[in-house]
Amino acid sequence: MSDNSEKLLVVDNLSTTFATAGGPLPAVSNVSFDLLGNETIGIVGESGSGKTVLSRTIMGLQPRTNVTVTGSVLLNGNQMANATERFKRELWGTEVAMVFQDPMTSLNPVVRIGKQIDETLRVRLGMSRQDAKARAIELLELVGIPSPAHRYNAYPGQLSGGMRQRVVIAIALACSPKLLMADEPTTGLDVTIQAQILNLLDELKERLHMSVVLVTHDLGVVATRTSRIIVMYAGRIVEVGATRDVFANHRMPYTRALLESSPKVSNASHTRLVTIPGRPPNLLKITDGCSFAPRCAYATEKCRTDRPELQPGAQPGHSFACWNPLPATRGVTAS
Amino acid sequence: MLRYVIRRILMLIGIVFVISVGSFFLIHLLPGNIAAVIEGPGASPENQAKLFKLLGLNRPIYEQYFVWINHVLHGNLGTSFITGTPVVQSIRAALPIDLELILLSQILAFATAIPLAMRSARKPDGILDRIFSAGSFTMLSVPPFIVIVLLVLFISVELGVPHTGPSSYVSFASNWIGNLQSMALPAVTLAVGSFVVYYRVLRSDLIATLQEEFITMARSKGISQRRIMWRHAFRPSSVALLGTAGVNIGGLLAGGFVVQFLLAIPGLGYTLISAINTDDYLLVQGIVLVVSVGVVLINFLFDFIINIVDPRISRE
Amino acid sequence: MSDLIFIAEEVSLVEKPEKKEPLGLLFWFCIGWIALNFVGAIFANVLPLQNPLYQDYNTINAAPSLHHLFGTDDIGRDIFARIVYGSRVSIAVGFGSMLIGYCIGAPLGMLAAYRRGRFDTIVTTIMYIFLAFPAIIATIAVLSFWTPRSVFKIIIVIGLASVPLVYRVIRTATLSISTKDFVVAAKVQGARDRRILMKELLPNIAPIGISFLLIGVATVIALEGTLAFLGLSVVVPTPSWGNMINESRTVLQQNPWLVIFPSLALCLFLLCLNFIGDRLRHHFDVTEVKL
Repeated sequence: MSDNSEKLLVVDNLSTTFATAGGPLPAVSNVSFDLLGNETIGIVGESGSGKTVLSRTIMGLQPRTNVTVTGSVLLNGNQMANATERFKRELWGTEVAMVFQDPMTSLNPVVRIGKQIDETLRVRLGMSRQDAKARAIELLELVGIPSPAHRYNAYPGQLSGGMRQRVVIAIALACSPKLLMADEPTTGLDVTIQAQILNLLDELKERLHMSVVLVTHDLGVVATRTSRIIVMYAGRIVEVGATRDVFANHRMPYTRALLESSPKVSNASHTRLVTIPGRPPNLLKITDGCSFAPRCAYATEKCRTDRPELQPGAQPGHSFACWNPLPATRGVTAS
Repeated sequence: MLRYVIRRILMLIGIVFVISVGSFFLIHLLPGNIAAVIEGPGASPENQAKLFKLLGLNRPIYEQYFVWINHVLHGNLGTSFITGTPVVQSIRAALPIDLELILLSQILAFATAIPLAMRSARKPDGILDRIFSAGSFTMLSVPPFIVIVLLVLFISVELGVPHTGPSSYVSFASNWIGNLQSMALPAVTLAVGSFVVYYRVLRSDLIATLQEEFITMARSKGISQRRIMWRHAFRPSSVALLGTAGVNIGGLLAGGFVVQFLLAIPGLGYTLISAINTDDYLLVQGIVLVVSVGVVLINFLFDFIINIVDPRISRE
Repeated sequence: MSDLIFIAEEVSLVEKPEKKEPLGLLFWFCIGWIALNFVGAIFANVLPLQNPLYQDYNTINAAPSLHHLFGTDDIGRDIFARIVYGSRVSIAVGFGSMLIGYCIGAPLGMLAAYRRGRFDTIVTTIMYIFLAFPAIIATIAVLSFWTPRSVFKIIIVIGLASVPLVYRVIRTATLSISTKDFVVAAKVQGARDRRILMKELLPNIAPIGISFLLIGVATVIALEGTLAFLGLSVVVPTPSWGNMINESRTVLQQNPWLVIFPSLALCLFLLCLNFIGDRLRHHFDVTEVKL
């Protein structure tokens, strides 16, 4: 494989633990993966799988108190895990930026959106007021906001959900970061708007040569837009591989359950919605064995006593963590 | 926005009207023959009857009110029977002193409360935070009159400055240094009470605001902590502070009399107490009217300022 | 952050955390102190105290001693006894007036917020007009004209003056609760009004109500002190904390005990009240998830 200097992001054995009233909560455990330049990777999982905590930890935005981070996050060679705030601040905006889930809460409600974009440009790039305003209007146009010069003076509350999210994207892109972390960027938006925003992200990624980490619970979102997918459960990676492989050749039963539980248009009407029985585990009570075992239809004794490690699958780059994986010959595709 | 302002002004006029009625009836609710009361004890029946007619007290009550309100709108609040000076003059002499006292104490209070609250909110449960939170909570339980008495005790006992009696107030116009000296103790006393409230309100609001998502987003833009505190966190948090300030300042106008009375600062509060003690009802009525209207105006002003800071309120 | 919040919810759904925010040692100390004051006030007559009115001209401005635990004032009266008897005034005025304020203001506020409509508009407008009028001045004016003064009259005047404030607080609290979904749900299920009031609203308003009650008591007690300074509290030989502090002004340098002990008594009492109110608020605020 290529050496680390070509990779944009190298995450190695990253763990994030919260100190709570009920004991230590390991929200993320032993996560490792790489990201190259100009690549989009999807991180998928249910609520509570640790995917949001992972994205925040990678970025260095985890809360400062009662949190322990171990492992390494190398962003373009810069170590982000446990770095000082000052160090991280240098990289935020210019190297890596984040698009948050709810644009109503991630934008300052009492400041005009133009000013919120300006701020990044003036503080991080040192632009003058006029230059910043001009560039802000350019950015608004880039993200597809009609009459940008006029909208420059709007308050977030005066815009629709989709527009607000575009503004958030504009802010994230303002200083041309090489890596964009998108944490559930379309959850909470209308379905039609979702597609627009995702297409916008694709387009911008191409134009600006960025890499994107797309965090979501919705498999439909990652199906066509990512080159690789990471599936998380209970804070760990349970399957990772090329998107095609994960969809067609998945080995871990949880992945299958996830896939089956998304309603498909191609299903006949009145098809029963498939759900995964049970609920995500309580991370305060770590048990031996695989975290998914209580809910898994294929669980064996070993699954309940030994925790499976990631093992390579048939295709390159494909790994999964399961003692009793689904057969490998399902849906063979031309690689 | 304009509609909001107009609506508020109309409410203002309504409230002021009601206050004027209340102030007017304040005298008329007193027990006894009103003329005898005003004229004072020992007045002869003929004088009382003359006064009765002079004051138009034989007219129906609502007519009296309109006569009175007409006078008021022309700036005539009557002439005190006790001191002989027009009420308006007494008020005009006393009001600026109140305003100066309020101004000085609030400047002190804000100048200390805001930076300290910002610091504490940045590092909650740090040493600074713990000291000031505990301290301010304790001070909440110490009423202003105790603060004064203890301060005076401290100054006279510890610093050896003899406690001679009421300090002599020096007006600003004649000697501004002397003025500030004489206003120092009352201003500090009032500032302490205000500081405690402002610090606590701002701190708790800031801590809540700092947990909002847009602060995390601002962090992710690579902006410095200081800028985040002042540019992003302060403004939404200041709404509660402004609301508290409005109520507090209104309270100072209406209730600053203890401090004034104890230290012989001839503001409205002092004048009011003296008037009550000397049964100077016209002066009492006049001051009540002016102070009430003043409090309402202050609240109105602060509502307006809050609206500028957080435009969402007028849109709701 | 959605993950975090979900994890927290998960934790509380799966099993109740054993530790609710504990009230703490200091809390119980404050309760104890308040209780002590109550006991002193109620049983002052039977306690082994000096006579609070007896003027012993042989021991003026005495420092604390075995005979006079807190010393004597400028006309020879025992300060300790006067403080214990004085607590009667403070407690009676404080709790008495808030009782009046709550008996009138709270039901009105709850009803107005729940019923809305004309009742709400009329009563709220009246109350807000009263609120615009500086209550302190009105209180002073009334108390100075309504002579001779007694604790009873003071309680009534301050009590009535506090009604609009209590009304506003309770009404605001009820408003914010009654628009919450679970109340609407109860209504839709056909629950009768009285049931809703008792089962859904009251338990949620109670914390705010009690908290404000305690703060109110503290404020009124401080107010009594202020009134004493204007000569408007209880008539002079009767001891009250405010009266004593007022009397101390003339002999400040000679007799610091006369100002220190009543001030301590007053401030400690207020501090405990405030602390209890604050703690209760934190304890019952289940919406605050501490992570």
